[in-house]
Amino acid sequence: MNTNKNTEAQRLTFAEKLYLPELAKGMSITFREMFKPKFTRQYPEQRWDPTGSYRGRPVLVLEEGKERCVACGLCSLVCPAMAIEVQAAETENEKERYPEKFEINMLRCIYCGFCEEVCPEEAIVMSKDYELLFSSQKDAIYGKDRLLVPVEQLQDRLDFLKEYK
Amino acid sequence: MPHIVIDGTRIETSPDKTIIQAATENGINISHFCWHPELSVSGNCRMCLVEIGLPKRLADGSFDKDSDGKPVIGFFPKLQIACSTQVSEGMHINTKTDKVIKAQESVMEFLLINHPLDCPICDEAGQCKLQEYEYRHSNGQSRFEEEKNHKEKRVKWSNEIFYDGERCISCSRCIRFAREVAKQDVLAFVNRGDKVTIKVSEGKEFNNDYSMNVIDICPVGALTSGDFRFSSRVWDMSFNDSICPGCARGCNIKIGSRANKVLRVEPRNNMFVNKYWMCDYGRLSWYENINECRINEPQIRVNGSYEDCSWDQAVDAAYQGLKKYQPNEIMFIGSAYSSNEDNFLLKKFAKKIIKTNNIDFQKYSKDGFEDNKLKVNDTTPNTNGLTEIGVAPDQNGYKINDIAKKIAVGQLKAVYILDDSLGQFPELLESFAKAEFIIVHASNKSKLTEIANVVFATSTFAECEGTFVNFEKRVQHFKPALISNENISTMGAKMDRLEKFGSHNDRWSLRNIHNSRQSWRIIMQLANKFGAAWTYKSSSNVFDEITDQIQSLSGMSYKLLDEYQGLVLGKAGSPDKKVIAYQSYTMKPN
Amino acid sequence: MNEIIFVTVSALIKSIAVVLCIVLLSAAVSVYIERKVSAFIQNRIGPNRVGPFGTLQPIVDVIKLLFKEDVVPAGADYQFHRLGPVLSLGVAIVVYAVIPFSSPFMMNIAGVDRLIQFGIAPNINIGILYILAMTSVGVYGITLAGWSSNSKYSLLGGLRSSAQMISYELSMGLAIVGILMITGSFSMNDIVMHQQGWKINLLLQPLGFIIFLVSAFAETNRAPFDLPEAEPELVGGYNTEYTGMKFGMFFLAEYSNMAVSSAMICTLYFGGWMLPFSPSLIGLHENTLALSLVQFAWLLLKVIFCIFFFVWVRWSIPRFRYDQLMRLGWKVLLPLAIFNVVATAIVMYIIK
Repeated sequence: MNTNKNTEAQRLTFAEKLYLPELAKGMSITFREMFKPKFTRQYPEQRWDPTGSYRGRPVLVLEEGKERCVACGLCSLVCPAMAIEVQAAETENEKERYPEKFEINMLRCIYCGFCEEVCPEEAIVMSKDYELLFSSQKDAIYGKDRLLVPVEQLQDRLDFLKEYK
Repeated sequence: MPHIVIDGTRIETSPDKTIIQAATENGINISHFCWHPELSVSGNCRMCLVEIGLPKRLADGSFDKDSDGKPVIGFFPKLQIACSTQVSEGMHINTKTDKVIKAQESVMEFLLINHPLDCPICDEAGQCKLQEYEYRHSNGQSRFEEEKNHKEKRVKWSNEIFYDGERCISCSRCIRFAREVAKQDVLAFVNRGDKVTIKVSEGKEFNNDYSMNVIDICPVGALTSGDFRFSSRVWDMSFNDSICPGCARGCNIKIGSRANKVLRVEPRNNMFVNKYWMCDYGRLSWYENINECRINEPQIRVNGSYEDCSWDQAVDAAYQGLKKYQPNEIMFIGSAYSSNEDNFLLKKFAKKIIKTNNIDFQKYSKDGFEDNKLKVNDTTPNTNGLTEIGVAPDQNGYKINDIAKKIAVGQLKAVYILDDSLGQFPELLESFAKAEFIIVHASNKSKLTEIANVVFATSTFAECEGTFVNFEKRVQHFKPALISNENISTMGAKMDRLEKFGSHNDRWSLRNIHNSRQSWRIIMQLANKFGAAWTYKSSSNVFDEITDQIQSLSGMSYKLLDEYQGLVLGKAGSPDKKVIAYQSYTMKPN
Repeated sequence: MNEIIFVTVSALIKSIAVVLCIVLLSAAVSVYIERKVSAFIQNRIGPNRVGPFGTLQPIVDVIKLLFKEDVVPAGADYQFHRLGPVLSLGVAIVVYAVIPFSSPFMMNIAGVDRLIQFGIAPNINIGILYILAMTSVGVYGITLAGWSSNSKYSLLGGLRSSAQMISYELSMGLAIVGILMITGSFSMNDIVMHQQGWKINLLLQPLGFIIFLVSAFAETNRAPFDLPEAEPELVGGYNTEYTGMKFGMFFLAEYSNMAVSSAMICTLYFGGWMLPFSPSLIGLHENTLALSLVQFAWLLLKVIFCIFFFVWVRWSIPRFRYDQLMRLGWKVLLPLAIFNVVATAIVMYIIK
C-alpha cells in the first residue's frame, strides 16, 4: 500500500482502485469458508447451560418468602425500552415499601441488564432463562407471580455480580 | 438604598433585608435548608455560609482605595450565614470561593452522617433538597464508619402526616410553620445533639387545616403525606399548573398526575393570592372527583334508561328537545364551578340563539368555612366571574329561586344546566324532576344526571383551559393538566414519561381517557345546530370575545394573565409588579 | 378445430415451462440457495429441519407468511400500499415471457406435425426492449410502497431505489447495445441462435458483460447495492411497513428478480439454451422433445449457477455507500458502456 498520499482514496494502488481484483480476493475467502467445519449447535437436542455472566430474562429475587424489591422505580426509569412498570405500596416490614405490582413486558424487554445494574437492593437480576414463549401479547406481561425466583436458584448470577459489578 | 455585590454582581436592595432575601429577590440562589421567605430566620442549618466583606475605612472615615481607585474590601475572617446577616452599603458577598465551598462540603458531610441511605424507599427522592445539594455541594465521600443513629420512624403526627426521625435534618421549618403560619404551636425539638428529634406535644395532633404544607416545605423526606405515601415516584409524574376550585380564593396549584390520574395537589407560588400555601381541604377534598365516578361518554335517556352515544347524537337529541319549546319555557342555569368561557357562551346561546331571558346561576356558601388565612365562605371558584359576565336574568326573566314555582305551574318546561352540583339541593332536584326536558353538562355521576334527558360528558377544570375570577376580583388563567379525548394531541408532551413515550398497546397506557369536552365547545356545537355560525377554535378565542365585550376585562389576554400571575378586574393596564418566585427545590440539580 | 387444440396444447407446454421456472426456480430454489449458501459461508448448517436437508423450508416460510397478520399503518395510502407488492412481483414475473427455454421441437398435435418451443413469446421481435421496459416499471412498485407507507424509512428506501434503478438502467441498456449490434436483432431467440458453439457473447463482449452484471445487481437491489433496504440505516427500507404475504410478495419479487436477471445473463451472454456441442454428439436429433428437455436443463443449470453467484456476492461484499453507488453508476459504468458501444462498432467495421 502506498503510504505517501493523504487521503484513503489517494493511498489506493491502481489494482485496488480497479476493485475487481479485490472483489475476487474477498469472494475466494468466502468460497473457501464454505467447506470448513460448522459450528452449529443442534438446539432442541443439545441445550446450553449458561454461565453466571449470561443475561437471560430479568427476575426478582425472593428471599425468606419476601421480595427484596422496595419498588423504588429506578429500574422502570432506567429501562430504555420502558418495559417495567412498578406500583409501590406500604407494608409493615422494616423496609416500609414493597411492590404491589411489578410487571415486565417481555415483548419490550431487550435484556440490556440496566435494571440489574441500577438496582440499589440487588433485587432484580438477569437469570439464565432464555427459553421464553408467549401465545399472546397479554401473556408476555410477566407479573410478580412469574418474576419472583428463590434466591438459591440465582446464586451464580449473584456471585458474578459480587465479583464484577 | 444600599448596594451590595454578590459574586461580582452589583444589586440594589433595601436596608431591612438579609443577604439571602436580597439575593433571592434578584434571582441569585444561595444554598440553604432552613431558611424560607415566609418563615422567621432560625439559622441552624449552616448551609448558607458565605464570605462577607465590607469596604475598609481609613482613620479619617473615608474609604480606602487601591491603586486602581477601587475600594479595598476587608473580609471577615470567619464565614457568616446569609440568612440572618443584614445587608449594608458596599457589602461584598462571595458564595463561590474555595473557603465557602469547603464549608458547604463540611456541612453536607455532617448532615449526611446520620441521614439514612433509603432514597429508594423515600417519597421525597427526586425532589429532595438534600439530594440536590448532595450532587451540587458534596464531594461524595463520607469518613463516618460507625453505625448511624436510629430514631423513631413512621410517627403519625396526624392522619395525613407521617414523620421519620432518621431522615430529619432538624431544620425546624415545620416547627416554625406550625407556630407562625398555621398558628398551632404543637411541634418542638426534643433531646439534644445527635439524638435530637421533633415531637408533637403530648396528647395532641398536628391536624391544623394548613398542616400538610409542612410536607412541601420539608427539605428532606422526613415528612410524608399519608394520602400520597408511596403512590408514585415524582419523576414518573407530571406537575401541571392549575387553579384550586375548592373556594373563591383560587389558590394557585400544581396538579401531580400519573397515567392521567391525579395523585396529589401542591401549592404553587403566587404572592398575590396564596403565597406558598394551600389548605388541606383543597389538597384532599376534590381531586377524587376527577379520578372517580366520571361520565365517560355523552348519554341520552331512551325509554327510561341511559345509553352512551356519540357527540352528534347527543347534540341532535338536545336540539330536537329544545326546539319543541317556546323561548320563555326554557331556563338556563350557569355554573360558578365553570370557567368564564363556558358561562359566556352559555349566556350568548341563551340570549342570542334561544332568545330567552331565563338565565341564572346558583351561589354556594358554606358558613364557618372561612378563616382569616386562605379559606373563604364562597366555595365556588368563579362567582365573581359570572357576575361580571352577567349570567343573570333581565327584569322579566326567571331567577333560580323561581324555578320550582314556574315548573309547578307549567310555565317552565325545559332546563339547561351547566352546573352538575345542583344535585345536592333536594328541593331543586324534586322540581327538576317535574320538568319535561333536562339537559345537563356533567363530569361526574350524580342525582342530577339520573333525571336528565341528555347528559353531556363535560371535562373537569383539570382538563380545560379557561379563566376564573377569585373573590378579590383577580382573573386567573388555568391550563389543562390532564388528558381528555379533546386535548390529547396537545397535552401529550406535558404529561409524564409513560404517557409521553408509551404506545397504544402498552398496558400502562390503557388509562382512562374520558370522551369529554369543554362546556363551551358543546354549547358551540349545539348553537351551530340552531343555525349559528360560531367558529371558536380554542378557549382563547372565546376569551378574546369576552375581553371585547366586558369592559372590566378589556385588555387582558391569556399571555398577560400568565405573565403577571393574574390581573385584577379593570386593572389590566396597571398590573402588580412582577416578583421572582422563590423555589424550594428544583427537580434536577443544575 | 385443430387450431384450437394446437393453441391449447402449446399454451400448456409454454406455461408448464414458465410455471416450473417461476414457482420452483425463482421462489423456492433461490431462497433455499440463499439460506444454505449464506449458512455455509458463515460456517453454519442452515435450514435442516423441514424436509430432506431443509429443502421444504421456503414452502414453510411462505405458509408462515400467509398466516401472518396483515397490518396497514395508520395514515398509509391503502390503495397504493396494496398495489406496491403486486406491481413488484407482477413485473418480476412477466419478464419471463420473452425468455426462450429451449430450441423448438416437433410435436404431433391433432394429426399435424408442428414446431413448439418452451417459453411464452421467445420469438417476439422486441424482446429486449420489452425486458428493459418491464424492469423500468418495477421501480414503481418499490417507490409506491415506500411512499404510500407513511413512514420515513420506507420513503427513503423508495427514493433510493428509484434513483438507483434509473441510474443503472442507462448503463444496462447501453451494455446490451453491443450485443444488438453483433446480433442485429431484438429477439431473444435470435440472440441465443447467434451464440452457436463456443461463440458466446461473453467472449465477444467481456466489458459489456461486466457492465451488465454490475447493473443487474443494482437493478435487482441485491447486495452490494441493496441500499433501498439497508437494514442499519432504514430498518427495512421500502418494505418496513409491510407484513404477512404483502411482505412475502416483496420477498418473492426480490428472488424472482434475481432469477430473471440470472436467466437474462445466461441468455444474453452464456448462450441461453444453446448446447456448447453439437446435439448429435450425445445422439439427439434436431427438433425432438428430448433435445429440448436437455437444452432446458442446461439453461436451468446455468441459471442456478448464476443465482449461486448472486448469493455468493451478497454474503461476501459489503454494501456500497450511497455516493459511491452513484459515482460508480454515472462516472464509471456509463462511460465504459459508451466506450463499449464505440469499440464494438469500430471492431465490426474493421472485420467487415
